[in-house]
Amino acid sequence: MHSAVLESFEKKDFLNFVRAVSGIWETDALFSGAGYTGENVSVCYILPISSYAVTGRESVSGLRRFINSDDKETYGFLAYDLGLSLKDVHTDKKLMTDPGLFKKYAAYARHCGQRLTIESDCPVILEKALIAYETYSPTPPNMSAADVKCNMTRQDYVGKVKEVIEYIRDGHTYQLNLSMMFEAETYEKPYDIWAHTAEMNPAPFYALFKFNEGHILSTSPERFIKVSDRKVLSQPIKGTLRFKEYYPELEQKLTESVKESAELSMIVDLIRNDISETCEVGSVEVLEHKSVMCVDDLLQMYSSVCGTLKDGKDVLDLLFSAFPGGSVTGCPKKRSMELIDSLEPHSRGVYC
Amino acid sequence: MKLLLIDNNDSFTYNLYHLIIRNTGFDTCVLPYDKLPMCDNLEYDAFVISPGPGHPSEYIYYSEIFNTGKPVFGVCLGMQIINLHFAGEVTRLEGCRHGVTLPAEYNKEFIDVAVYNSLYCSLVPDVFEIISKSVNVPMWIKHKEQPIAGVQFHPESFLTKNGGRILTDAFSSIGII
Repeated sequence: MHSAVLESFEKKDFLNFVRAVSGIWETDALFSGAGYTGENVSVCYILPISSYAVTGRESVSGLRRFINSDDKETYGFLAYDLGLSLKDVHTDKKLMTDPGLFKKYAAYARHCGQRLTIESDCPVILEKALIAYETYSPTPPNMSAADVKCNMTRQDYVGKVKEVIEYIRDGHTYQLNLSMMFEAETYEKPYDIWAHTAEMNPAPFYALFKFNEGHILSTSPERFIKVSDRKVLSQPIKGTLRFKEYYPELEQKLTESVKESAELSMIVDLIRNDISETCEVGSVEVLEHKSVMCVDDLLQMYSSVCGTLKDGKDVLDLLFSAFPGGSVTGCPKKRSMELIDSLEPHSRGVYC
Repeated sequence: MKLLLIDNNDSFTYNLYHLIIRNTGFDTCVLPYDKLPMCDNLEYDAFVISPGPGHPSEYIYYSEIFNTGKPVFGVCLGMQIINLHFAGEVTRLEGCRHGVTLPAEYNKEFIDVAVYNSLYCSLVPDVFEIISKSVNVPMWIKHKEQPIAGVQFHPESFLTKNGGRILTDAFSSIGII
């Protein structure tokens, strides 16, 4: 294993590193923006050398073999479309052919604190990546508002919400996430848009991933699942307050709201359920219920749901049993997903 | 004691599963509702009916369970299924409430219990004793002659205080414990 270390390396430098290396090889990345405690590692994944396509529930053992085939880190995604088949939700919509993809790479560049460490079995890759970064001069992408189209009008959306409320009154769902799809045309490079957005609107969980002929650009303040040393952590977010100017009493206003608290509590009960299938009896608990964090001009409540994996279960068993995350479906999950399928005009693809 | 917990495709079933095992230690199996017609009821000593979406009339496979004469305990939709089986009525609740706690009277004290409540048992037949109520909503019913009981609230929710004690009290009232 060969490695190189760059010191005094800021988050902004990391984003430029990703953009520079993307110019010569297929590159994927995870980025944690500034200002979120507990999240300070970003990783740039350079030049995929092997991959595994997830096709359905049966892929869990193949994916496990792929991950364990060597000690290289694996990076990938699962789409909402996979969730439909995991939960036996029937759909007539056209779905993604491979609802998940995972890759291993020739080189990994890990950023933590102010240090970037690049590692690879191949010294030439290290050398070329460093040259690409040193000779790179970033130009900001043209992010002027393009012609953004939405697949629902305001009136359509409000109509669907009214339908959802009737479903709630009939007990089919208690809470439902109804999404709409926006489309815009751009000629900018995907990694430029990604890096620019990550710099302008920091969030703890940014992801860039090349998939088929396109790129997935993702940003989220929410942790679905983390497992370390068999300890499970999920941090669902629900309950929001928009503000013009922050003052500390706003947090109390949010946490004391009956409606916002109920929204979070429902998803906490759902997440407890979703991790309980693969966690030890007695290990699942809710910590720091109704914590508050600030994302842009929004205050968001979240909770930490913790547990310990039970014997014979691993992180993939947990992931496939808890997927898709409850905060993008609703509760109870299966019926809510069936309603989402009938109410939304689009298929969600990777959105979840 | 071998328990069968029937899962009506709900997202709280495994919370109930953990609560049961933690407080009773009973050998408990979870069975999806769709598989109920293929299930050998003789294998189990008692049945628990999970919460779930929709109206209890959608769930047509339960009569066999009631015919066994063995103890049956239902939570939320589970209680509504019990109520409907004995010719009770289940209708929309004005001002439905979800993910909140309400005080329910039990043993001459008020306990805070979590509710996920769109529908409620609007008519509870005379074969049942209403153990607890919150305003006009029956929260806990128990059959006067058979070992059958149900709760409208959610003892398995993290919002319910002493959910374990409520569960063991309910179980002992119908001879599961």
